[in-house]
Amino acid sequence: MHAEEFDVVVVGGGPGGSTVATLVAMQGHRVLLLEKETFPRYQIGESLLPATVHGVCRLLGVTEEMEKAAFTVKRGGSFRWGTNPVPWNFLFAVSPELSGPTSTAYQVERMKFDEILLRNAAAKGVEVRENVAVGEVLEDPERVRGVRYTDADGCPREITAKYVVDASGNRTRLSGHAGGERVYSEHFKNLALFGYFEGGKRLPGADSGNILCAAFDEGWMWYIPLSDTLTSVGAVISSTRAQEIQGDESAREEALLGFVDRCEIVRGFLSEATRITTGTYGELRVRKDYSYANTRFWRPGMALVGDAACFIDPVFSTGVHLATYAGLLAARSINSVLSGAVAEDRAFAEFEGRYRREYGVFYEFLSAFYDMQGNEEGYFWKAKKVTSFDSSAMEAFVSLVGGVASGETALTDPDALVARFGNSSRSLASAVEATGDMSTASGERMRHLFGVPVVGGVMQEMNQIQRRGVLGSATGETPLLPGGLVPSDDGLAWAPPAPRTTPIPQENHEPPHP
Amino acid sequence: MTDAPFTSERIRADVAEVLFLTPEEVVDDQPLSDQGLDSIRLMTLAERWNATGAEVDILDLAERPTVAQWVELLGH
Repeated sequence: MHAEEFDVVVVGGGPGGSTVATLVAMQGHRVLLLEKETFPRYQIGESLLPATVHGVCRLLGVTEEMEKAAFTVKRGGSFRWGTNPVPWNFLFAVSPELSGPTSTAYQVERMKFDEILLRNAAAKGVEVRENVAVGEVLEDPERVRGVRYTDADGCPREITAKYVVDASGNRTRLSGHAGGERVYSEHFKNLALFGYFEGGKRLPGADSGNILCAAFDEGWMWYIPLSDTLTSVGAVISSTRAQEIQGDESAREEALLGFVDRCEIVRGFLSEATRITTGTYGELRVRKDYSYANTRFWRPGMALVGDAACFIDPVFSTGVHLATYAGLLAARSINSVLSGAVAEDRAFAEFEGRYRREYGVFYEFLSAFYDMQGNEEGYFWKAKKVTSFDSSAMEAFVSLVGGVASGETALTDPDALVARFGNSSRSLASAVEATGDMSTASGERMRHLFGVPVVGGVMQEMNQIQRRGVLGSATGETPLLPGGLVPSDDGLAWAPPAPRTTPIPQENHEPPHP
Repeated sequence: MTDAPFTSERIRADVAEVLFLTPEEVVDDQPLSDQGLDSIRLMTLAERWNATGAEVDILDLAERPTVAQWVELLGH
């Protein structure tokens, strides 16, 4: 058998895998990336957030290529959601006056975006091999030591490495080697059915590039403008509908057009559009959009990033964010251990702690967000009411994220968590009401929405990453986790926090500001 | 950034740092949004000021984005 040795082997060439591989190779380490397909290839998850575009992409050095690709620019999300019959905006800038070039993100064709990141990885020194399927993880009781795979010519190969990163997506067959198991959320077992249209209408003015998420009686729809004429349209519905939509193409088409018909705003936007029926975008696809997390994100010698580790419902466009965020965290931990700066346990506790916190805050935001729409009739929405969350589901959530920070303690009691999520839902609903319709003076000001504690929670790390990308090194970060580490000056590793001369106010008394 | 009191000099210096300008280039009574301030830079300033003893709401800063008005907001 052909045997080789690397510092790190990354399995999977999506955004999470490319991010970790590139940021480790940039520190001079030997990195091999193994990808099962040959790029470009289709993928779903097309709406990005500013932290990815202005934070991670800048660290990776692909800002210019992203600009050249001329992706659709979004300034936020527009939602027909909750009690307001008119869409309302969640914008990235606090006000139109303070909207700058970094207050935006992109809608991307993943075939193009993922390829930019993968080719950039190769350009930054990563050895990239496509069309290879990893079959086996090499491990002993102490640690993971590498992988075996069969190359494109059918020749078996063995790679030994100090770290194996599983970035092989939601259908990973490797994640169990981290020593845990995948735990699904009972409340967010959704399915997505999606396709592509030519000639769909656009939201007015500055919102024309936004993602539109619109609730209807049986679920909600995404409407993503990928170009002036191409639109990605998907329905997120209960998994109990699986039988109807997993049939042949004509059954799927009937189902999707039925959902469009029930979702007033999307029906109007598509009234003069035609569904694409040929090529990559011609297929109607179904995907499980279950929210889940693995009980272990790492073990000595191995880390999980992206959908291999966890996934949150697509409504906030978080798929690529969670993957690239985890890629950044994993790279910092690996770089710190390989350079000898930080012990493995401590470096990866930081990786896992931050990653779980991010999953946890988005889960709370998701619960509050779905709860806002929960007065609707119909099974889909009734099951999403926070008050219908049972103790066993909340206990499962606590075991995954270790509770939700509240003051200086962590809430772990199921009833207390249900109450907390309920409060978050009410604050969110009031802020949405105070913000008002899109395309109005108040509707362009995020004063109310950014002030909601759960929104502050989800924006904290995203802002930090974006700030580092925008302002460069040394942004004066304090530890996110009690007793934790901070990013090094170059952002590519961990460092102990700098000693402070002035007392730091206890951050947890107040909700973190966006 | 320093931990000095919130004088106009300090505020101007901190603003200049996130805008990649010199303090002399920052105009006190012109909206900072016209001088390159955006949402993420504003959040950076607010967080740092709050970490060094200010108690200021980013949303208040956003509504009055000039150095002169921030001196008033932060000065007491």
